[in-house]
Amino acid sequence: MLSYIVRRMLWLPVLLAIMIFITFWLGFYGPGSPEQVLLGQRYSPETAALVRRQWGLDKPFWVQYGRYVLNYVSLNFGESLTKYPGQPVATLLARRLPITLQLNFAAVMLGVPVGLLFGAIAAYYHGSWFDRGIIFVSVFLRAIPTLVAGPILLFIFAKQLKLLPVGGWDGIFSPSAILPVAILSTGIIAGFARQTRANVLDVLNSDYVRTARAKGLSEVRVLLGHVLQNALIPLITIFGFMLGGMVEGTLITETIFGIPGMGLLAFEAINARDYPIVIAITVLAAVVFALSNLWADLFYGVIDPRIRNT
Amino acid sequence: MARLLEVKGLRTQFFTQDGVVNAVNGISYTLDEGETLGIVGESGCGKSVGVMSLIRLIPSPPGKIVGGEVIFNGQDLLKISDSEIRSIRGNKVGMIFQDPMTSLNPVLTIGRQITEALQLHLGMNNAQARARAVELLELVGIPSAADRLDDYPHQFSGGMRQRVMIAIGLSCNPQLLIADEPTTALDVTIQAQIVDLVRKLRDELGMAVIWITHDLGVVAGMADRMLVMYAGMIVEEAGVKELYANPRHPYTIGLLGSLPRLDQLTGEKLDSIEGLPPDLIALPKGCPFYARCQYRIERCKTDTPALENVGVGHRAACWVDVTRDPVTTENPWHTA
Ligand SMILES: Nc1ncnc2c1ncn2[C@@H]1O[C@H](COP(=O)(O)OP(=O)(O)OP(=O)(O)O)[C@@H](O)[C@H]1O
Ligand code: SF4
Ligand SMILES: [Mg+2]
Repeated sequence: MLSYIVRRMLWLPVLLAIMIFITFWLGFYGPGSPEQVLLGQRYSPETAALVRRQWGLDKPFWVQYGRYVLNYVSLNFGESLTKYPGQPVATLLARRLPITLQLNFAAVMLGVPVGLLFGAIAAYYHGSWFDRGIIFVSVFLRAIPTLVAGPILLFIFAKQLKLLPVGGWDGIFSPSAILPVAILSTGIIAGFARQTRANVLDVLNSDYVRTARAKGLSEVRVLLGHVLQNALIPLITIFGFMLGGMVEGTLITETIFGIPGMGLLAFEAINARDYPIVIAITVLAAVVFALSNLWADLFYGVIDPRIRNT
Repeated sequence: MARLLEVKGLRTQFFTQDGVVNAVNGISYTLDEGETLGIVGESGCGKSVGVMSLIRLIPSPPGKIVGGEVIFNGQDLLKISDSEIRSIRGNKVGMIFQDPMTSLNPVLTIGRQITEALQLHLGMNNAQARARAVELLELVGIPSAADRLDDYPHQFSGGMRQRVMIAIGLSCNPQLLIADEPTTALDVTIQAQIVDLVRKLRDELGMAVIWITHDLGVVAGMADRMLVMYAGMIVEEAGVKELYANPRHPYTIGLLGSLPRLDQLTGEKLDSIEGLPPDLIALPKGCPFYARCQYRIERCKTDTPALENVGVGHRAACWVDVTRDPVTTENPWHTA
């Protein structure tokens, strides 16, 4: 088990190098170039050549890539080119990341328990009106993209009812956090409720739950002692997927609500073709994906003895 | 011997989308203390549902026990409260199931799965229950039992897991052990070991046993008495020797005909009963075995025969006396 985790950890740098490579390659050979973006109106072939030499952009691809990787290893993510000229990307990230983390943490803390509870109740009383309601609502919620739901909620609660601010950010404990957290967590609730329901139903019909009942255990003991842990195991993978999905959810939600987190920064940087920021955020997203996978493996080991002992 | 169990007119149905499945259709039998009853019949004839109904272990919905009485130690188990029936399950009545690979919880240790019932029913503390669990594992023949207590099911083979299941079933010294095809999923050599083990433990501990199988050969050396089930009904009941020597129901004759005999290993194909049992959602009128019966007469088509005495301790549900009346059709399945 331990050696497996170590092996997985060793993959992390390799994965990151690949991610940097792909993003870098896209930026290098894709349409447009840094000096065009940088010079804008002032563009002329001469100044462009000057800038290229100054920034090392005239060097071959591999040299530039190698320098980039070396910089990343020493935690030097470069400077913003256009959006926040001259500001180190690391500083920008350090300012934006906490907001995004708070937002997503709040959404997870709300969404996971509520989703688990709804899913488990729906499964236990499967076929009841509550069960049908949960299925309907979760399918319904998943079908509406944030891009549609966000503006509608803003219109209702901010413009019409004037209960909540139109956007912006006053911290996680302010009214400005309510709508974005609600939007991010409904996706989690819907996903977890559906998956939990399916897992619990599966486990309830299993032979070992019949054995537990044949021992004379009460329903509460059967549920807490035998059903829960088994039903949670597959959810670990779902949680990993969910973390991945949140990268995307954050981008859209922060942009709609004007929350100055990583998502909005990414949006701004992409619009401004601010390559150093785009690459840094892409790499960071890759780290999140990789860690969420690793976390799943670690947690499987904790909860499932069949994996722990191999 | 005192009467331990009396089942009267037990009926269990499943209310499914396709219709009402008549899984158990009014079965009655008795069991004395320390006695071993074998129940045989083809797959789907209601053997499992029949015994699970005794301790109300039917998944509900869709299942429902719709009638009858289950008198256990003078008390009707179908009338008592949920918490009262739970105090009997795993305590007075132990169960072992068909598939040992799936019947144990994969994420709990073997020790935990045994001690659970001990703590619940016998009020043992953790240390007492663990000590008793070691005794039980030794009793069912698990080597170095004390070291295996904290192992998980996946660290045991199928045969060993079934031994663990038996330890769980016996943990609270039940008066009745229900074994639902406990050997079907195991290798032939392991099957014999498990049969021997249960027989040995029964003789030592003196509990009554209901042993379900669809293989008449497995229970032959073990049971005192046999029930033959067909389409949710009991079609024949007799002492085990009597049943083999003098079967009175055409279905039993068919089952015995399909039994491999050690003294006749000719390699010939066994004549299993042709055809399929009736649809339990739309049970036909008359005798349920009619479509497959070689002895059938006109009357069988319209009237359902009741279980009647045909000898001492011998009951059969058939209009025909197979000892006197001739076969009326050689192969009903092809002419039906
Ligand atoms: N949960 C259920 N829902 C619907 N029908 C069921 C359910 N459980 C059992 N049945 C039906 O009840 C009938 C009797 O099933 P049962 O499990 O008692 O058969 P069995 O004699 O034990 O067969 P086997 O030898 O295969 O174990 C079958 O026709 C089966 O389809
Ligand atoms: S009652 Fe008739 S059909 Fe049924 S088993 Fe007897 S002879 Fe066959
Ligand atoms: Mg069965």
